[in-house]
Amino acid sequence: MTNPAQNDDHSPRPASDSPAEITSECQPERHSRAAEREVQYDRFVALLARHDLAIRRFVRYLMPSTDGVDDVIQETALECWRKFDDFLSGREQANGVDDSANDEFVRWACVIARYKAMSWQRNRSRDRLVFRESVIEHLAGSAVELIEQSEHRRQAIETCLDQLSVNHRRLVLSVHMPGESVAQIAKESGVKPRQLYSKVNMLRSALLRCVERQLTGELGNG
Amino acid sequence: MDKRFEKLIFQAIDQTISPADFQRLQDAIESDAEVRQAYLKSLTLCEQLGEIAQDTSVPDSTSVLTTIVTDATATDRRFDWRLLGLAATLLIAVSVGAYRLGRQDNRLRLGSRLTESLSEEMPPLSSAETQIAGHATLRRGVALKWPSGATRHREGDVLPNGLLAFEEGTAEIDFFCGATLIVEGPASFDIESDWSVAVTQGRLRANVPPVARGFVVRAADSEIIDLGTEFVLEVDSQNVRVDVIDGEVELRGGAHDGQHLLTGEGVSLKGDAAAMPSPASISTVSDLQQQRRIADERSFERWKTFANQLSLDRRLIAYFPIASGLQDGLQSGLLGRVVPDVAASGQQSNGRIVGPVTSADGRFGDGSYGLEFDRTGARVRTRIDGTFRAFTFACWAKIDSLKHRYNALFMSDGYENGELHWQIRDDGRLMFSVMVDDTQKTQHFSPQDNKMVTQAGLHRVYYSDTFWDLSQSGQWFHLAAVYDPANRKVIQYVNGTPIASETIAEKFYVDELHIGAAEIGNWGQPFRKTPWFAVRNFNGAIDEMAIFDAALSGEELRQIYESGKPVGY
Repeated sequence: MTNPAQNDDHSPRPASDSPAEITSECQPERHSRAAEREVQYDRFVALLARHDLAIRRFVRYLMPSTDGVDDVIQETALECWRKFDDFLSGREQANGVDDSANDEFVRWACVIARYKAMSWQRNRSRDRLVFRESVIEHLAGSAVELIEQSEHRRQAIETCLDQLSVNHRRLVLSVHMPGESVAQIAKESGVKPRQLYSKVNMLRSALLRCVERQLTGELGNG
Repeated sequence: MDKRFEKLIFQAIDQTISPADFQRLQDAIESDAEVRQAYLKSLTLCEQLGEIAQDTSVPDSTSVLTTIVTDATATDRRFDWRLLGLAATLLIAVSVGAYRLGRQDNRLRLGSRLTESLSEEMPPLSSAETQIAGHATLRRGVALKWPSGATRHREGDVLPNGLLAFEEGTAEIDFFCGATLIVEGPASFDIESDWSVAVTQGRLRANVPPVARGFVVRAADSEIIDLGTEFVLEVDSQNVRVDVIDGEVELRGGAHDGQHLLTGEGVSLKGDAAAMPSPASISTVSDLQQQRRIADERSFERWKTFANQLSLDRRLIAYFPIASGLQDGLQSGLLGRVVPDVAASGQQSNGRIVGPVTSADGRFGDGSYGLEFDRTGARVRTRIDGTFRAFTFACWAKIDSLKHRYNALFMSDGYENGELHWQIRDDGRLMFSVMVDDTQKTQHFSPQDNKMVTQAGLHRVYYSDTFWDLSQSGQWFHLAAVYDPANRKVIQYVNGTPIASETIAEKFYVDELHIGAAEIGNWGQPFRKTPWFAVRNFNGAIDEMAIFDAALSGEELRQIYESGKPVGY
């Protein structure tokens, strides 16, 4: 697989075969090039559409908050498109077929995403909370496995959430719910926000334990 | 993992972490794989909770995006790379939206039905902190008679707040603040808080140690505030009288408002005090202990006679009357690790104590015993060969807590064809199961666990409803399971009363029953191929395990319960 990061200097720059050049003049051999490029574009969009959620999750793992996640994804998508030729030729060299491109595409895109996430944080290193590069490296190493599990995790979380009482469920979701907040619930229930917040974290810990239990499965319960 | 990191992780995710802590967390993420995993898993949880929260609150926002992007991708197929950015971002947005929409439909279709049926039949397991209500416990009771229809409280029970009444007998009640009341029936009172009680009827002796100073007893229109040690109070419909045995009380309200009473002093708060019996006649703690000891001994003797008779029952496969096994010259048996099987029929399959089994106070007080399995490695092993046509398992169990998902009463080691498992699930349900065909792997939807469960072997777990919760911690229960292939029934009993009955379906029919190598109070799997084992030791004590090659009738089980029940049942 081609390493997309080899020539990456972290600044967006049109690749030499940028489609922008192609549309500028209409010479015959460029037409066939353009047609080929259109086929590639369709393939690229299809792959991206199929895997954007995995890429988004990966990026989120490397960022200290949701701020900037969209930026990094957009830059990653652009960079992937610029280097899509490399990806395709790398694949052709490897096995000559592209039916099984899916997994490799995700892995390839995640390598690009990792560098984009690093450069985004490097540019904001004066901000309060950004990860240093070595931490991003470590997180990226472990994140791939979690992305593969994410569907199972999501199911497990829903199962575990169903086991909570209505009030606890509302509380633990309130942090993420538009129009709901810990402050709001604190006002309704008369409990101090600080206490509620520590309760939210207790519930989160309980959910984590429940999820792990669901995922590891239990020994036969007979 | 260090608990402190758990907190830091959530603070980092919620962006409330301090810069210094953030540096510490980064160090740990780098150096400690466990912290790194915990961070990523916690982040996944929070992100997915976010998705779920969005699902439930804004179901329609996705359709708008779908339209925009459908238009964009249908018309805009030129190679303008500047547009690509926009298209790609929109694509990402739309597919996240579509994903959420899909999940939502799914949840509506499957989720709501499941939750519905769950709430009707099987309340889901709760992972939240346990709470029970109450201000006091019933420490001891002698000859208590509860009004018909009222809850019969047992020793050790947490007493709920509110009205409590009994018709006869004497109760020793410990309030959480440290005050102790000895109450003689007929009595009626309202447990108001950890610190106060209102008495409408009864004779009581209040003992208030320094830690509970300020304990309040209300009677008639007065409050009696104990400033130390002991007073007695008598309340009937006409008269109320208080006498200080030792120490000092203050009266508030009523005719004696503000008055202090010292040792030996007493006043009538209502009616004519002379009409009442002498305050000294109210039981003391040591009276109550003495009465209790006599009642225990009587029950113990009666049960020993019954147990001797039962040991002759020809249907017995094995019988371990642990309570007396220790007293009747067999104490050395326990020290020598042997739990005697006294069934006259059967193979004298004495149990062998393995690991940290301890001898607990038995259900007849001093002099009687139970075997306690509260440490992980504690177990009593036995081996019972042969083929049986039916099973009745019965025992007394004092449940301190159901600390594992499954808590073992009696378990066959290998759980091979015809072998059984008898245990209690952590939500207080009895489980009895028999392996039907151990060569099959089966998958079924478990309403208890709300998911598909793969099980090694075809078998069936018969569950009862919940019969136990933490408020009954430390209390003895008589439990029984009857497995009756001839009549295709499985019936489970608590304290001599059937609480679950289920038909054995054709698919799960098996009439060649075995026990083999087995354990009381734990699950041994000596043939497993890995060092890992499921932790199922019973956190409590077990006594009088009886196993029959027969389906005992409800009447017989009721009699076993009646003959073996402790004082106060």
